[in-house]
Amino acid sequence: MTMRFLTIFLAFLASISAVSAAELRGPLGNPATPVSGIALSDSERQTIRQGGYKAALVWHGSSTWVNALTAGAKAAFDELGIRLVGQTDAQFDPAKQASDLENVMALEPDMILTLVIDGASVKSSFDKAVKAGAELVLLSNPISGYQPGREYVGIVTDDMQGMGVAAAELMAEAVPGGGNIGVIYHDADYFITNTRDRAFMNAIDSGEHGAFSVKAKRGFTKESETSSIASAMVLQYPMLEAVYVSWDAAAEGVIAGLRAAGRPDIKVITHDLGVNNLVDMAMGGNLYASVADRPYEIGYAMALLGAYGILDKPAPAFSVVGFDKVRRDSIAQVWQSTYHTPLPPLLQRALQQ
Amino acid sequence: MSSEELKQPALTVKNISKRFGGIQALQNVSFNINKGEVVALLGDNGAGKSTLVRCVSGIHPPDGGEILVNDQQVTVASPQDARELGIETVHQDLAVIPDFDIAANLFLNREILHKNPLLRLLGWLDNKAMREQAQISLQRLNSKVPDLTEAISRLSGGQRQAVAIARAVNSGADVVIMDEPTAALGVEQSAQVNELINLISSQGVAVLLISHNMQHVMETCDRAVVLLRGESIANVKISDVTPRDLVGFITGAQRLTA
Amino acid sequence: MLPPEKLNKHAIANAFLRREYFVYYVFILTLLFFTVTLHDVSFFSVTNFMNVIRQTTPVTIMAIGLTFALAGGHIDLSIGAVVALAALVAALLLQMVPVPVAVIGALMVGVAVGLINGLLIEWLKVSSLLITLGTMGVITGVARQLTNLESVPIIEPSFNFVFGSGSFGPVSVLLLWTLGIAALGYLLLRKCRFGRHLLAVGGNEKGARAMGISTIKVRIMALVLASSAAALAGLLYAGRLHGARYTLGEADLLTVIAAVAIGGTSLFGGRASILGAVIGSWLMGLINNGLILSGFSTNEQMIARGVILVVAVAIGVKEQQK
Repeated sequence: MTMRFLTIFLAFLASISAVSAAELRGPLGNPATPVSGIALSDSERQTIRQGGYKAALVWHGSSTWVNALTAGAKAAFDELGIRLVGQTDAQFDPAKQASDLENVMALEPDMILTLVIDGASVKSSFDKAVKAGAELVLLSNPISGYQPGREYVGIVTDDMQGMGVAAAELMAEAVPGGGNIGVIYHDADYFITNTRDRAFMNAIDSGEHGAFSVKAKRGFTKESETSSIASAMVLQYPMLEAVYVSWDAAAEGVIAGLRAAGRPDIKVITHDLGVNNLVDMAMGGNLYASVADRPYEIGYAMALLGAYGILDKPAPAFSVVGFDKVRRDSIAQVWQSTYHTPLPPLLQRALQQ
Repeated sequence: MSSEELKQPALTVKNISKRFGGIQALQNVSFNINKGEVVALLGDNGAGKSTLVRCVSGIHPPDGGEILVNDQQVTVASPQDARELGIETVHQDLAVIPDFDIAANLFLNREILHKNPLLRLLGWLDNKAMREQAQISLQRLNSKVPDLTEAISRLSGGQRQAVAIARAVNSGADVVIMDEPTAALGVEQSAQVNELINLISSQGVAVLLISHNMQHVMETCDRAVVLLRGESIANVKISDVTPRDLVGFITGAQRLTA
Repeated sequence: MLPPEKLNKHAIANAFLRREYFVYYVFILTLLFFTVTLHDVSFFSVTNFMNVIRQTTPVTIMAIGLTFALAGGHIDLSIGAVVALAALVAALLLQMVPVPVAVIGALMVGVAVGLINGLLIEWLKVSSLLITLGTMGVITGVARQLTNLESVPIIEPSFNFVFGSGSFGPVSVLLLWTLGIAALGYLLLRKCRFGRHLLAVGGNEKGARAMGISTIKVRIMALVLASSAAALAGLLYAGRLHGARYTLGEADLLTVIAAVAIGGTSLFGGRASILGAVIGSWLMGLINNGLILSGFSTNEQMIARGVILVVAVAIGVKEQQK
């Protein structure tokens, strides 16, 4: 899941930070609406099913998270009789995404679900797609100059703000009343991680969750760096009681570092779900809790929005998908709502211990 | 008829032929070298000298003909075959490893392994034994070489040549082929190499010498075989000819088949 | 021949300026520098040095392996990808078979990749750079495919202990792995016939062939060693992290090449130093650790690391040209 987090169009960042951090708003200031409002009536479903429409998925990268996204979209396609004709992975390269899109357009899809890596550099390719009449549904990132209801149907995204705050709440649970903590944040321009990290920091700084003192704050750019950072951190600041780290795969290194330092007492809070860390959590290791979003639900909602576009039904411009707090007792249940796949056997076994 | 026939041939080639694509590099070349004899292999550039050397040293096996070592017919399919049959070649570029020391070069691919059978199995080297042996074989050649642990790259051209020749003789070769051993050397160093050649032939080694230097050939060799466009056109005793005659053979102005 | 007194003077000056020793000076200087500047943050402590060793061991093991490939004149770009594949194979096998079988299975991944690399290079007579660039892609793809990008946890305590998480008092098992593999590598390269033939092939390929050395066999063997070492590095990552994922090792390739080059091994064959590779990799780890402890921002760390690398390589290469 290294980098499903994307560079974002600067204007988007600017508009987001202009709005108060309390409420998530879309790139054009549209208020966020919950994704639960997106639904089709029976007759609308019938219309779509009879149309024999085609869809394409133009993703940014690949990961288990993207797999869940695809699974959600496919589930909706199956219900609606939509044929999935093409699926691409840009490997986080905007240039590759542009050519991916051009290649997919040869298949004449009626709708395209995509996470745009760089809204500025792929615009000309998307212009052609829009001109060809494809319905565009975006994940998180906007395309410069595009308007909802005009060039694209709508944007679906995580509640990153809410996730950051939830991480702070979990921190308060792990260290009741507050204490000394370390923060290992993503030091790169990625909208999703930046928003979550910032929301976490703001919530901690507000003092609402307890008297926390951030003893050390270190950034990383690659997941492989976090082990060294965590080792150095506990060496310098042995009084730490908990560490926040931006996401799951990066937390693996942190946990390895804490383990090597002989500090099972330091609790770790992070985002997203990964089997390795969940096993650690299940076996009473360092990971105390995580905040997981729902990629399957995002994929499903995006597919429905695509159908909105085909039907010319007025669609919400900016929809937000919820999240779950994951503690040891809720692992099995959250795994199901996140990935819609059975719990990996090893994790199952770890939970039974 | 000469006295050579009374001697024992160390290396005999019979009707050797070799083609490269459309080019007939060698055609029915035959000659022999007796023990303790120094034979010059002469010819203009492209006459087939290098091809012949490669055929005999196993780099390019010949298309047709026979090679006999000590009157036994043999197959030379690789450089390793040639070395095992007692044919050693001192290549023009010497085939030494610049960063290796003298002892390591002398025993390249002929390393002495440790006496302990278990370590032997692992290919454990006995560097001490190799140094001692190297000392002995260099002394045998009266070579003035500095420290045996000196890297080859730090030696002079003549010293490197001496090491390469010592390596050939060291492994108990019956036949030593030398490709232009003095081409890159000064007068004094050339003289040292000539001495070395005389020394090893006096010890019974058969030497095939490739050279462009007529002076050198007249001084060191007993006999000369001349190639012209892939065929042997002359096989003469040095004492019977003048340098002018040899040049005549090389250029094709004279022709004489022995 | 030089007169003895002149030889001596040269010999002493040369002995100290030899490129082979360069990495040790840089290492000691770096150590001193951080010890002085970071005296208040426990840089100079057993715990911290053990941290550095622990974090660096996979890179060290890969550097030792790559030294063999480079000694024979080949580069191997696929080692980073082998790390991930071997770690995943080990993690998956551990769910089915006993620990030793899983370990052997993972190491066989390395052996197989080395053989494939070697055979392709020798048969197609294409540069190792291009072939291993290709196999790197294939292996990365296979690793991603194998578990569909999911990470695989390892809950086998004995495996985790032996391959990274265990320690005897303050001494991490990873230090023992480093010392053991370094000793093995040194003996193989310096004391065995294989090492001598490999260096001969790297130093003068035509010459080695003319002396009857099978250059093909020797080089294939070197590539097998390089990717087997990478597979072991994968096991050591998996044991430390208690699990495997397809991203393991992906960031290591350049660090490994830099460590080996700074350590005095020629990138073009014939000259190699195992000890240099070990110290070179420790140097990289030390710089990383020191920069984190010094509280620089991520960007400043990147700049500092780059500058140190350029300076080190520049001095090293200049020394080589003498």
